[in-house]
Amino acid sequence: MSGRHGVFVARRVGQAALVVLLTYVFTFLVISVLPGDPVTSMLRDPENGFSDQDVQQIVAYYHLDQPVLVQLATSLGRFLTGDLGVSLRTQVPVTQLLGDALPSTLELTATALGVALLLAVVVAYGTQFLPPRLGQGIVRAVPSAALSVPSFVIGIVLVRTFGFQLGWFSITDPDSLTATLVAGVALGIPVSAQIAEVLVANLDHERTQDYVTLARSRGLTSRELFRRHLLKPSALPVLTVVAIAVGELLGGSLITESVFGRQGVGTLVETSVTGQDLPVLQAVVVLAAIVFVVVNLAADLLYPLLDARLRPSARSAAPVTAPARTLSDAVAGAA
Amino acid sequence: MSETEDLSADVPATPELLRVDGLTVGYGREPVVHDVGLTVSRGETVALIGESGSGKSTVARAVLRLLPRGAWAQGSVTLAGHDALGLSEAQFRRLRGRVVGFVPQDPASSLNPVRTIGAQADEAARLLDLPDRAARRARVLEVLARVGLDDPERVHASYPHQLSGGMLQRVLIALAVLPGPDLLVADEPTSALDVTVQQRILDLLAELQDSLGLGILLITHDLALAAERADRLAVLRDGRVQESGPSRQVLLEPASEYARTLGADVPSLHPDRFDALRARRSLAPGAAPQIELRGVDRTFRTGDTDVVAASGVSFAVARGTTHALVGESGSGKTTAVRILLGLETPDAGEVLVGGEALGRRSRAQVRALRRHLQLVYQNPFTSLDPTWSVERLVREPLDRFRVGTKAERAEAVARALDDVGLSRDLLGRRPVALSGGQRQRVAIARALVLRPDVIVLDEPTTALDVTVQAGIVRVLLELQARHGLTYLFVSHDLGLVRQVADTVSVLERGRVVEHGHVADVFTDPQHPYTRALLAAVPRAAQHPTTAQHPVPAQHPTLEPVP
Repeated sequence: MSGRHGVFVARRVGQAALVVLLTYVFTFLVISVLPGDPVTSMLRDPENGFSDQDVQQIVAYYHLDQPVLVQLATSLGRFLTGDLGVSLRTQVPVTQLLGDALPSTLELTATALGVALLLAVVVAYGTQFLPPRLGQGIVRAVPSAALSVPSFVIGIVLVRTFGFQLGWFSITDPDSLTATLVAGVALGIPVSAQIAEVLVANLDHERTQDYVTLARSRGLTSRELFRRHLLKPSALPVLTVVAIAVGELLGGSLITESVFGRQGVGTLVETSVTGQDLPVLQAVVVLAAIVFVVVNLAADLLYPLLDARLRPSARSAAPVTAPARTLSDAVAGAA
Repeated sequence: MSETEDLSADVPATPELLRVDGLTVGYGREPVVHDVGLTVSRGETVALIGESGSGKSTVARAVLRLLPRGAWAQGSVTLAGHDALGLSEAQFRRLRGRVVGFVPQDPASSLNPVRTIGAQADEAARLLDLPDRAARRARVLEVLARVGLDDPERVHASYPHQLSGGMLQRVLIALAVLPGPDLLVADEPTSALDVTVQQRILDLLAELQDSLGLGILLITHDLALAAERADRLAVLRDGRVQESGPSRQVLLEPASEYARTLGADVPSLHPDRFDALRARRSLAPGAAPQIELRGVDRTFRTGDTDVVAASGVSFAVARGTTHALVGESGSGKTTAVRILLGLETPDAGEVLVGGEALGRRSRAQVRALRRHLQLVYQNPFTSLDPTWSVERLVREPLDRFRVGTKAERAEAVARALDDVGLSRDLLGRRPVALSGGQRQRVAIARALVLRPDVIVLDEPTTALDVTVQAGIVRVLLELQARHGLTYLFVSHDLGLVRQVADTVSVLERGRVVEHGHVADVFTDPQHPYTRALLAAVPRAAQHPTTAQHPVPAQHPTLEPVP
C-alpha cells in the first residue's frame, strides 16, 4: 500500500520535472527561431554601449556563433546547475535579480490568496445561512459582479480611496504591511469570486444529497451540517481552482505591482521586456512554469490525503465522484 | 435491552407512536398528498405502498420533517405525543434520532463519502448521554456488532466506498437504532440490494423490532414484500389512501380497484399469468439453438486481484423461446450478455449465433450479424438520447444499416410503434415528455425496427412500476408470438422470470450452477444458491396465513466483502 503510494508520488514528481525541462527547452527554441535575432541587434546597437570586446565575450559565453542545438545544450546544462545566465542590461546574474524581486511578489501573491480564500468562505457561508430572500440574493450576486471587474481597476480605486483620500496606508512605502494588504485585496478579489462560485455551486449541490438529509435526521443543526458534512466535500474541488488561481495571481501581480509601485517580478519583467533582456525573460518564464507545476503537484498529492476515494489503494471499483485532476490536465489548462 | 427502556421513558403510555391525520403536502401550489391518515403502534410494522409518484416518500419526509425547501404540510402528525408539525425546528430536532429514526433507500449515497463510518456514527451516539468519546465509540462498536457486522473495528475505520451495499445498509440501520428511537421510518430500505441481502436486512429489522419494541413505518413499492413483513398496509395512489387494513385482508380481499390491480400485477403472486399468451407461440420441437455460448471464460484484472466474470459459461436458446439469466449483482450476467453481443471478447470459448461461430467472422460479418441481435437496456431514463425525437430514435438503426428508402423507413418506424402499442402521435415527442413505460416501449420499438431474430432484454422492467411492467411484458410476449423472436432475458426478479421464461440458467460468481426448464428449476432447485435465491423471494403471497420470517439461509458467497 505504502509502496504503491510511493510509486504514485514518484511518478507525479517525475512528470512535474519533465514539464519544467520541456518548458525551458521550448522557451529557448522559441526565442532562437524568432526572426531578426534581437540579441545581436541589441548588442550591435551603439546606444546600448557594448564594446566589441563585450560582444565577443557574450557571444562566446552563450555560444551564439554555434548551432542552436549546441547553444541549447550549453544553456540547459547551466540551467540544471542553477545558472540562469547574466542579465544583458545590468550585467548582474539573473538568479540574483530574481532573488531580489521574488520575495516581494511571493508576499503579495500569498496575501492575495489568503484574502481570496477568506472572502470566498465568507460569501459561501452567507449563501447558506442568510435569510433566503434578501440576504442570500445579494450575497449570491457578489461573485459574478466581482468577477467582472479587473483587478487593476480595483487596485486604482483602492489606492485612490485608502491611499490618497483616507491616507490609511503610505503610498510612498509600498512594502509596508497595510500597503501589501490593500494590494493583496485588489489582486485577491477576482480570484475569490472564482473560488466562491465553485464553492457555492458545490454547497448547493451537496446539501441536496441523501447523506445530508440523513445527517439532518440524526438531529444535526444547520451549522453542524455545514461544518461536519458540507464544507469538506464542497471544498475538495476548490483545491484545483486554487491551484490554477495561483497562476493567475502571478500574472495579475505583474499589473498590480505597477499600480501599487512595488518592486517585484512584475517590475522586473516590465523593464526586461522594454530592455530586450532575454536571459531574464527566459528565466521568468521558467520560474512561472516551476511555480505553476509545483502548486499543481501539491494539489495532486493533497487530494488522496483529503479524500479516501482517491487513494491509490482504494478499491478500483469504487465510485469516484470528486474530480481527480492530474498534472497533465493542469498543464493542458495552462496552455 | 434495558438502556432502550430508559431512553423511551418520555414516551406516553399509549401504544400509539405515530398518528397521521388529514395530512396534505404540496410542492409549490399543487398538493401531491391529500388527506392521508395512518397510525403506527409500538412493536408494529405498517407499510405504505405505492408506485412512483404516489406520494409515499413525501408522506415519510413529512413525518420526519425532511421535506425539501419550498414544500409545505398541513394536517396533524403526532409523534410520541408531540405535535410534530407544530414544533419549531429547534424543538423538533430534539426528537430526531431519539424518538424517530430514518433508514433511507440508497445506502451508497446516504453516507458522507469523505468521512469515516465512525465519524458519522459518533453523531448518532452523541444523542445519548454518554460521558466521553471513548464511551461513545464503545457503544457504536457494540451496535455495529449487533446489526451483524463481523468486524466492527474495521467498519468503524472504513469509508463508505470500502463497504458493500448490504454492509452499508446494516450501518445505516445501526445508526438509526443507536440513539434508541421508538419509531423507525424505513423508505425502501432494500430496493437497492440483491434479493438475498434484502431478505437478511429485513430479517434484521424484524429482529431489532422484536427486541427493542420499535414501531416501523415501511415505505415500499413491493406489495409482496409489504404483505410478508407488515402487520397493516396502506395503499397510496396519486397522494390518496385507496385502502388500508391488515396485510392479509388487503392482499387477499382487496376492497379497492387499485389494490386489486396492484395485486394482480405482482409477478410472484401469479406465476401462470401469461401462460395463455405464451401458448400462442408456435414452437418447432427440437429446433436448432438460435444462440449458444460454449465454455466461455472471461477474467478481469482490477489492481492485484482477478475477478472471474465468466468461467465455463454455456447455455443454448432454442429459436422462438425465452431463456433467462438470473443471479445477483456480480454473478456475471452482464458479462455473458456483453460477450454474446460482441462487446467483450471471451478469453476462451465460443459464441454461436444461428449455428455459426462468431469468432471466425470478419468485422463486417459481425456487423451484419448485429443487425439480428438487438439489446433493450435496463433504464429507459438514461438509454435514450434526451435531445432526439421518438421518430429519430426509432429510425436510427435503419439509417445506420441503410435499410430501404426514406418512405420505407418511415413506414417501418410507424409499424414498430404499432407493434409496441404506442400511438403514432408520439413520433414528434422527446423522451422527457414520455412516461417510463412509454420510454421503454420506444426502446423496444428501436430494437424491433430492424426485424432482428434475437433481442437481449437486460432487466427491461427493473426501473418501472409493477403495473407498467405488466404492460411491457405483455407487449414482449405478443411480439414473440407474432415474429418468432428469441429472447435472452436478464433479471434478478425470479417471479418475473417464472412468468415469462422457458428455460433458465442460474449464475453465481461467473459459473452456471444450475440450468433447465423454469418449472423444474423453480419447483425443485438442486443447487443451494438457487434455493437461497428462491427462498429470498417474498412469499407472503403464496401462504399469507403462515407468513413467517424464515431463518436466513447463510450462504457465504452472497454478500461480497471487499
